[in-house]
Amino acid sequence: MKVKILEIINTVLDNRKNKKLTALTPEMHLRNDIGFDSLDLAELTVRIEAEYDIDIFEDGIVNTVSEIFEKLNGK
Amino acid sequence: MDFFLKDIEHGEPINWDFLVNDINNSLTYNRYCKSGNYYHVFKHIITSLIIGEEIILLDSDFTDFELVNLTGYSEYEEFTQIIDKGSFPFVCDKVELIDKLRNTCNEWKVTLFTSGTTGIPKKVTHNFKSITRFVKISEQNKNSIWGFAFNPTHMAGIQVFFQALLNGNTIVRLFGLAPNSIYSEIKGNDITHISATPTFYRLLLSCNDTFKKVERITSGGEKFNEKTIMQLKGIFPNAKITNVYASTEAGTLFASDNDIFSIKREYEHLIRVTNDELLIHSSLMGNSETNFEEWYNTCDLIETITEKPLKFRFISRKSDMINVGGYKVNPLEVEETILTLQGIKNVRVYSKSNSVLGNIICCEVVCENEQISESSIRTFLQSKIQEFKIPRIIRFVDELSTTRTGKIKRN
Repeated sequence: MKVKILEIINTVLDNRKNKKLTALTPEMHLRNDIGFDSLDLAELTVRIEAEYDIDIFEDGIVNTVSEIFEKLNGK
Repeated sequence: MDFFLKDIEHGEPINWDFLVNDINNSLTYNRYCKSGNYYHVFKHIITSLIIGEEIILLDSDFTDFELVNLTGYSEYEEFTQIIDKGSFPFVCDKVELIDKLRNTCNEWKVTLFTSGTTGIPKKVTHNFKSITRFVKISEQNKNSIWGFAFNPTHMAGIQVFFQALLNGNTIVRLFGLAPNSIYSEIKGNDITHISATPTFYRLLLSCNDTFKKVERITSGGEKFNEKTIMQLKGIFPNAKITNVYASTEAGTLFASDNDIFSIKREYEHLIRVTNDELLIHSSLMGNSETNFEEWYNTCDLIETITEKPLKFRFISRKSDMINVGGYKVNPLEVEETILTLQGIKNVRVYSKSNSVLGNIICCEVVCENEQISESSIRTFLQSKIQEFKIPRIIRFVDELSTTRTGKIKRN
C-alpha cells in the first residue's frame, strides 16, 4: 500500500510540475512537508478513492501520511 | 497602532498613516490593476476612488492568453497616467480619507471578470453605489478586525474590502496561507470577523484550539452540513454563523442564520419568483457586456416558505457552473480551451463531488492520435487558463458519454 500511495502522491505532484518524492514516511505532513494545497488534496482523495474505494476526507481533515494509512486500514 | 493591513506574506504590517502618506505621494495611476500583493491591490483601488477613475481588476494568475482574450492586451504600461495633484488635495489623516472614500463620485467604477455562463469570463462593471449596497457602516462595526479570506480581485473579496475599508477596520490576510499560519493570524490579531468559502473553513477543522474573539463567521457558495457546523461552533464558540447567497454579477444578495432566506423590505421590489426560479432586478447586477433584460433569471430553484414577506430556501442551482472551493468554473470555457490543442477531437468537462473542495473538475478526451498525453494537455492548459480551472482527472476515451437527449453529460 505504501508504494501505491507514494505513486499516487507523485502523480499529483507531477501534475502540478512539482518535484516527485523518492520515499514516503508516516510522519510527513501533506501540506507542510509535501507542499499540497487544497486543489492537490482534492485530487489526492479522488485518486485514492479510485484505488481503494475510500474517501479519506469524508469525515474530517487528514493531515499526515500516517493518517491516510489509518483511514485505509479502517481504524 | 491603528493598522490598515497585515499580510505576513508581504512584509511588515501597514498602518493607516502609512497608507494616507502613500496615497498622497502617488504620482501616477494605471486603470489596470494586476498584482499578487494585497497592499498594492488595495492601495490601487483606494487611489482610483480618490481620483474618481475607473479601475479594472485582473487576477494575478491570469495567463497572457487570458489577458489578451479579456482586455485585448497583456501589458498595461502604456495606460499609466500622471495624477493631477492640483485637483486632488492632500488627505490629512485616516478620518479624512474614509470620509472622502464614503463620498466617492458617481463617475468612479470598478470592472472585474467573473466566470461567465458562456465561453470566457465576462466583464462586469459596478459603480460605487452598487458595489457598496450591502456595506454596513456603524459604530458597532468600528472596531471589527477582518480575516481576509478571498482573492482581492474577486467580487466576494471586494465586498469584504469595502466593508472593512469604509468602517476603518484592520484587514488581516488569511487567503492562501497554510492552516497553521491561519490559526496564528486569527489568534495573534484578535480577528473578529471572517467571511470565506466553505472550503476555507473545512481546511480549518483539524484545529484543536478555540478562537473566542471571533464574533461572526460568514460563508456562502456551497452549503455546510450539520457536522461541519458543529465542528465550526467548537472552534469559534462565540461566533454567529451566517450563510449568504451571492451571485458573481451582483455579489452578496441575502444573508441568513440558517437555510431560510428573507429579503429586507427596501429590496423586496427588486426580487421576483417565477416558476420557482429566482429573478433579480437588473439594477442589482452592475453593467455587463451581456445586456440583461429588466429581470435577470439566476436559474436558481427556490422553495417559497412565505410570500409576504418573502422567505425562501434554495433547492438547487441550475447553472452549469462548477463550484470548486468557491471558485466558479465554466465547463464550456475549459472545453473550448482544450479543443484548441491540436490532436484533440472532442472533450467533455464535468464535475465530480469532492470532500475537500465541494467539486473537482474532470474531463474525458477523445484524441485523433496517440501523441496526446495527460501531461501534454496539462502543460498546454497551464499556459492558457487559471490553475483551478484545469481538470485534475483526465480520462482518454473512444467516445464521449452523452445523456439520452444527446447532450453531453456534466455530472
